[in-house]
Amino acid sequence: MTATTPAPSVPDIPARLHRGRPRIAAIAWRLSRPGGQSAAAVVLPVVAFAITTALLLTVLGGTMMFVRTGLGDPDLAVYPILAGFAVALLVVPLVSLGGSAARLSARRRDDRLATLRLIGATPAQVARITVLEATAFALAGALVGAVLYLAATPAVGLVRFFGEPIGAGSLWVGLGPLGLVVAGVVLVAAASAALGLRSVVISPLGVRTKASAPRMHWLRAVVAVAVVAVVVVGMQNLTLFGQFGGMLMMVAAMLVAFAVVLAVLGLLGPWLIGVVARAQLRRARTASALIAARTVLESPKALWRQVGGVAMACFVAVVAGSGLALAGVAGGEMEAELVEDMHTGVWITLVMSFLMVACSVGVNQAAQILDRRDLYVGLDRLGTPRSVMEAARVRGIVGPLLTVVVSAVIAGGLLVLPLLGIAIVVAPATILTLLLVFAVGVGLVVAGLVASRPVLSAVLAAPERV
Amino acid sequence: MTPSILTAHRLLKSYDRAPAPALDEVSIQVAAGESVAIMGPSGSGKTTLLHALAGIVPVDAGQVTFHGPTGAVEVSSLSESRRSALRRDHFGFVFQQGLLIPELTAVENVSLPLLLAGYRRQDAESRAASWLDALGLAGMGGRRIGELSGGQAQRVAIARAQVTGASIVFADEPTGALDSATSVEVLDALLGSTVGQGRTLVVVTHDEDVAARCARIVRLRDGRIRDDSAPRGAAATGGPRFAGAGWSADEDGSL
Repeated sequence: MTATTPAPSVPDIPARLHRGRPRIAAIAWRLSRPGGQSAAAVVLPVVAFAITTALLLTVLGGTMMFVRTGLGDPDLAVYPILAGFAVALLVVPLVSLGGSAARLSARRRDDRLATLRLIGATPAQVARITVLEATAFALAGALVGAVLYLAATPAVGLVRFFGEPIGAGSLWVGLGPLGLVVAGVVLVAAASAALGLRSVVISPLGVRTKASAPRMHWLRAVVAVAVVAVVVVGMQNLTLFGQFGGMLMMVAAMLVAFAVVLAVLGLLGPWLIGVVARAQLRRARTASALIAARTVLESPKALWRQVGGVAMACFVAVVAGSGLALAGVAGGEMEAELVEDMHTGVWITLVMSFLMVACSVGVNQAAQILDRRDLYVGLDRLGTPRSVMEAARVRGIVGPLLTVVVSAVIAGGLLVLPLLGIAIVVAPATILTLLLVFAVGVGLVVAGLVASRPVLSAVLAAPERV
Repeated sequence: MTPSILTAHRLLKSYDRAPAPALDEVSIQVAAGESVAIMGPSGSGKTTLLHALAGIVPVDAGQVTFHGPTGAVEVSSLSESRRSALRRDHFGFVFQQGLLIPELTAVENVSLPLLLAGYRRQDAESRAASWLDALGLAGMGGRRIGELSGGQAQRVAIARAQVTGASIVFADEPTGALDSATSVEVLDALLGSTVGQGRTLVVVTHDEDVAARCARIVRLRDGRIRDDSAPRGAAATGGPRFAGAGWSADEDGSL
C-alpha cells in the first residue's frame, strides 16, 4: 500500500481583500524604485533629460537676447534672423537628444513591462505605467536641467557679442518660458514613451526579437546626387535669379538651395552610413572592426539619428564660414563687428550641435551597455580583451560620424565652390579655424563615448549585481 | 592512469554579505579527456566552482592548476589580464543563453576567438564554417543569431567554444533554456565535439539526464563536495563520434 501525500491546502483569499481598481501609480513607483540592478536605469534618463533641458534653455535664452536686441535697434535687426536660423539648425540634434532620453526611459522598462503583460496587465495599464514613469523621469531631469542652466549662465555669459561679453543676466529666459520649457520636455517625453510602447503592447514576447536589418535602396543616392547637381548648377548661376527677380529672388533661391541640400543630407545620410559600413565590413580584419561594422549595419537610421545633427551644422558652417571669411576681408568697420559676431554664432552653433550629439552618444552608449550586460560579461569571460570591446564601441560611432561630417563638408563645399576656393586663398585662418572646430567636435563626441566607459567597468567588475 | 588537466586544492571563496562561503575547502581533479558534471541545489556553489576552475573569479584561498600544453600554470595566482588570456587561448565556454553577438552572423560569431588570437579573417571564417558544418549547421553560417532557433544558437556557441582548439570546455547549464528534444541534440553536439575528440568537458547542470551522460558527477551542497562518483547504472554514454571539422590534422588549433 502506498502512502498518499496530503494535498497542500491553498490559502483562501480573505473576505476583506475585495477586488478594486488597480493602483497604477503604486505599481509604477515599485517598478521604478532604484534597486541594485536598476539604479543606472533611473539615473541615465534623468541625466539625459537634464542635459536636454539645460541646453534648450541656454539656446532659448540666447535667442531671446538677440530678439530683444534686434527689436530695440533697427541696425541690429539681422541678429534675430540669424539666431532663428541657428536655432533651426540646433533643433535637429536637440530633438535627437531628447528622443534618446525618452526612448531610453521607455526601453529600460521593456522587460518588466513585457512581464507585466504576460501576467495579465492590460495594454492600457501597461501604457499608463510607462507614461507615468517616463513623465516622472522627465520632470526630475527637467528640473535638474533648469538648475544646470542657471549654474552655467555666468560661464556662457562670457561669450562676446556686439563687441562685449553678453553677461549672465541677458541669458535669463524668465520664469514663464522656463516653466513652459520644463512642461514641454515632460510632455514630449510622455508622448515619446507612449509611442515607443507599441511593441510591448502588441507583443509581450516580441520586444527583443531581431529581424534582418532593412537595406536602403541605391536609388536614394542617385536622386540625392541629381538634386545636389541641379542645386550646384543653380548656385553657380545665381546672378540669373538676380536678373529676373532682383536681390530678393537671389536670397530666396539661396535659401531654397540651402533647404534642399539639407533635406538631401537627411535622405542620403543613413544610406551613406550603410554603404561605408558595408565597405568596412568587407575590409574588417580585426574583431573590433567586424563588430563595429555589423553594429552600424544593424540600423544605419538609428546612427543617423544620433550623429545627423552634426552633418547639418557642418554643412552650414562650411557655407557660412566661406561667406564670412570673404566678408571679413572685404567689409568696413560696422560690417566687421557683424561678421565677427556671425563667426561667433557659427562656432557656437557648431559646438552646441557637437555637444548635443556627444551627450546623445554618451547616453545611448551607456544604455546599450546596460541593456547588453550579459553579453559583455560573457565576452569578458571568454577572454575578450576589454580594449577590443572599447575599440568596437568607438569605431561604431566615430565611423558614421566621420562619414556624415566629411559628406556634409563636401556637400557644403560643392554648393559654394568658388567662394570656398577664394576663402582658402584670402582668409586661410578662418578655414583653418573651421577645420579645428570640426576636429574639436569629433573629439567631443569621442569624449561622450569615453564617458560611458565607467558603466562598462562597473558591469564587468560586478557581473552578478549591476 | 590518465594525467590530470586541472586540479583544484582546498578552494575557499566567500561573497560579501553571504552568511556562508560559496566554496568551502573544495578539492577536485579533472583528468584529460574526462567529462565531469557538477550538480547541486541552487546556491550550493556549483557555478562558483566552475568560475573558479576557469579563472573567471579569483578564490580567497587554495590553488587551481591547469596542466596545459606548455606546462603547469597556477591559475589562481595569475593577474586578471593573464587569466583572461588563458581563457582566450586554452579554455572554451558555453553559457545557458549562448551569449552570442546578435549583430554578427553565425560564422562571424564562431570566428571571433580566432580573430582575437590574431588569425587572418579568411582563415578564421573558413575554420569557423567547418565547425558549423560539423555541428549540423551547414549553410547557416550567414544567418544572424536572431534568425536561428535556440538549439541552433547553442550549437553556434559550442563551435565558438572550441574553434581555437580549447583543451577544456566549461559549460554552465548549456541545455537549461532548451526543450528536452533540443537538449539531447545540443548535448550530443557538446559531448561529441569535446570528450568524443579526447578533450575535456566540465559542465554545471541541474539536469540528471545531462549529468548521466558524463563520466563523473560531482555533487555539491553548501559549498562542499558531498559526492564524487560515476553515474549510477551504466557507464557514461558520452556522445556520438564526431567528425570534428577536420580537426584531427591540427589538433593544437593552428590553422
